[in-house]
Amino acid sequence: MSTSTELIRLEGVKKSYNGVEVLHGVDLSVNAGEVVALLGENGAGKSTLVKILAGDISPTQGKIKVNGVEYAGLDVYGARDLGIRMIFQELNDAPSLTVAENIFLGQWPTTGGKIAWKELRDKAQEVLDRLEVHIPLDAEAGSLRVGERQLLEIARALIQNAKILVLDEPSAALSNIEVERLFNVMSQLKSQGVGMVYITHRLDEVSRVADQVQVLRDGNSVLTKDAKDVTRQDMVTAMLGHEASGNVRPVVSKPKKVVLEIDNLSDGHIFKDISLNVKEGEVVTLFGKIGSGTSEILESIFGLRQIVSGEIKISGEIFTPESPEDSTSRKIGFLPADRQRLGSFASRSVAENLSVSSWNKMAKFGFVKKETEEKAFGRWAEALSISARRGPSQEIATLSGGNQQKVLLGRWFEAQVNVLLLVEPTRGVDVGARRDIYNIIRQQAKESGVAVLIATSDYEEVVLIADRALVISRGEISAEFTDDHVHASNLIAASS
Amino acid sequence: MEKLRSKKVPQNSEEGAKRQRKIPDSAPLIAVLILMIMYFSFASEYFLQVENFRNILANAAVTGIVCIPSTFLIIAGHIDLSVGSAAAVSGMILAQVVNAHGIVIGLLAVLLFGLAFGCFNGVIVTMIGVNSLITTLGGLGFLYGVALLIGNGQTVGMNDFEWLGTAQPVGIPLPVVIFAGLALLGAITLRYTKFGRSIYAIGSNPNAARVVGIRSNRIIFQTFVLSAVASALAGAVLTSQLSAGSPNSGLGLELQVVTAIVLGGASLAGGRGSIFGTVLGLLIVGVLNNGLILMDVPTFWQRIAQGLMLIIAVSFDSIRAKLNNTRA
Repeated sequence: MSTSTELIRLEGVKKSYNGVEVLHGVDLSVNAGEVVALLGENGAGKSTLVKILAGDISPTQGKIKVNGVEYAGLDVYGARDLGIRMIFQELNDAPSLTVAENIFLGQWPTTGGKIAWKELRDKAQEVLDRLEVHIPLDAEAGSLRVGERQLLEIARALIQNAKILVLDEPSAALSNIEVERLFNVMSQLKSQGVGMVYITHRLDEVSRVADQVQVLRDGNSVLTKDAKDVTRQDMVTAMLGHEASGNVRPVVSKPKKVVLEIDNLSDGHIFKDISLNVKEGEVVTLFGKIGSGTSEILESIFGLRQIVSGEIKISGEIFTPESPEDSTSRKIGFLPADRQRLGSFASRSVAENLSVSSWNKMAKFGFVKKETEEKAFGRWAEALSISARRGPSQEIATLSGGNQQKVLLGRWFEAQVNVLLLVEPTRGVDVGARRDIYNIIRQQAKESGVAVLIATSDYEEVVLIADRALVISRGEISAEFTDDHVHASNLIAASS
Repeated sequence: MEKLRSKKVPQNSEEGAKRQRKIPDSAPLIAVLILMIMYFSFASEYFLQVENFRNILANAAVTGIVCIPSTFLIIAGHIDLSVGSAAAVSGMILAQVVNAHGIVIGLLAVLLFGLAFGCFNGVIVTMIGVNSLITTLGGLGFLYGVALLIGNGQTVGMNDFEWLGTAQPVGIPLPVVIFAGLALLGAITLRYTKFGRSIYAIGSNPNAARVVGIRSNRIIFQTFVLSAVASALAGAVLTSQLSAGSPNSGLGLELQVVTAIVLGGASLAGGRGSIFGTVLGLLIVGVLNNGLILMDVPTFWQRIAQGLMLIIAVSFDSIRAKLNNTRA
């Protein structure tokens, strides 16, 4: 790059939550017209760093310099004023408004109180041209593809004079063609001097789009290099902290009878002809990119989504999932990817959150004793090393993501389910807690014989936990691996 | 340097959380109640007399009976606005039927009405899926019409049934005894039973409640039935107190009920609240009404005070929610 004006610089940024430090002094520098790829496993500290850049949270220590001016911390408005804009995987648009209206969302130009439609359209067209994006201005945003709507968000950022764009895994939900368009737009932005932080899980994208690579692990910056000097192996080693081949695979248990059997399951649009079985004490993973259909398959088995054809058998008996209530009474447990929406009761205690699925079992004449719940919590708090400083009565919302996830997992072990369906069980969970979670899943499978089916987009998770790995690509099973064949390169090759 | 923004970073929320835990949520309510009692004691010589307190409790008891299941509903994230009209209709039914067929049949008819109307609300909300605020707002409207219809727009006198509303076993009005019993039962149910805890879970996160296997629809249905039956009972008590069924007797009851519950710390977003809090809220509303009457404040001012009280209560609810968010 010809320009080297430094737009933003973080120095020694630290962040603690409740006395636990999650970022241990990270530096980051973005120049004008430069793309910095930010890599790291789940829980490495990427999202904390992004929140600091967005002004959502302030660092506990360290400096932030924007255009050479030093700040102790930004707030949301401060970050906006400085031209820092976020592009998230989730869309923040108004689907029922037009493309032109969305580009100006909330900041429509007016003349004397009326919206100046001509100015709005002209400027919207201008910015789309600048990005070389061809979308009709009058189309409703909701009628566009996800990738196009994401480009609209970038267009909106530009209208608001973005100098620095932070793109948080924008490609995760996009098709290959849409990713190409995104990269085109990014190179346009580069030539216009916009600096970008690009977060991704797809290593193959790094060499295509980035100038600098920075890898975070456990809250530390472990690698910062020119993108052209870094190999794929370098990045993987830096992310994992060891060589990818060095992973210890679990000892495959000898499974016995089939607990969960699925035959030609289709839902009519996201997945089709899924056939698989999970045996007693077995851990099977469905690996696929986000959007490939893995989580939808599990939701359908649990009765949260409709199926149009196919058959599900539990221990040989045909099971028609009609509602989650039915599934739980058939001893099927489900851990959702969206913890806040489907998993936890934020204002209730950890003990109650853990016991809620076992109330039928615990109740005597409809009464549930607090001590029974607290005992149950005690058991699993120890087995899962849940740290709740204020004990069983602490509200679950005050726990870290990892600890919350452990409580929700313990919920189903306490309920003694026969089938456990887990969607992205370690998303947003720090490295230490991940290890605890893997250990307990394996241990419970072995001891209680629960059949575990996991949907995940994290290949490292598959390698660490699966007896058997099925790979899902575009809603269909594309490969199955067992034993030593469960390794990263096989999985990634079969999933794309 | 003007551009430099520095934000105070909270060092460690543990300390603050601990300090907060020592003060129970109900402390400010108790303080407000005591202050009000002190103020009215100075303002009116009649206020601090046993007879007056008996009055306050007797007046609050009718509202209180309705408040118990309504607290359940609000904790579960629902609401029942039809309570006042349902009470009026049951009062009208009671007066008519008692005059024609006697007390037993009259009470049965009222119970039947409560059950039927509760099922009606339950079906519309849980099976058809209409928002409970709208469903019961509709009920509030059409039942008022029904109450007018039954008595042809007139008050219907009732004979020989004053005891329900006016009996005073051991010096305590019977409605107060009924209310106290229901409150105790309600508090135990909410705290210690699967049913009660499920109500908190549903209000705290309705989607998650489904996933963990709680039969949410059944529980909401049952709670609507309880609410309608309690309204019917309240209507019967009112009618007994007045010795007449009046279509206007339940007017504004829903306002008092919701005010008391929200004042008591229940969140309209669901998941938070308690019977103890509701009882405190009820006493605050009752003392305020009584005090204003004793001070000869005109009734329209009392109406204004009641309405403002609700707005103040929900504002506290919102402020509390905001504080909780920033702390997380």
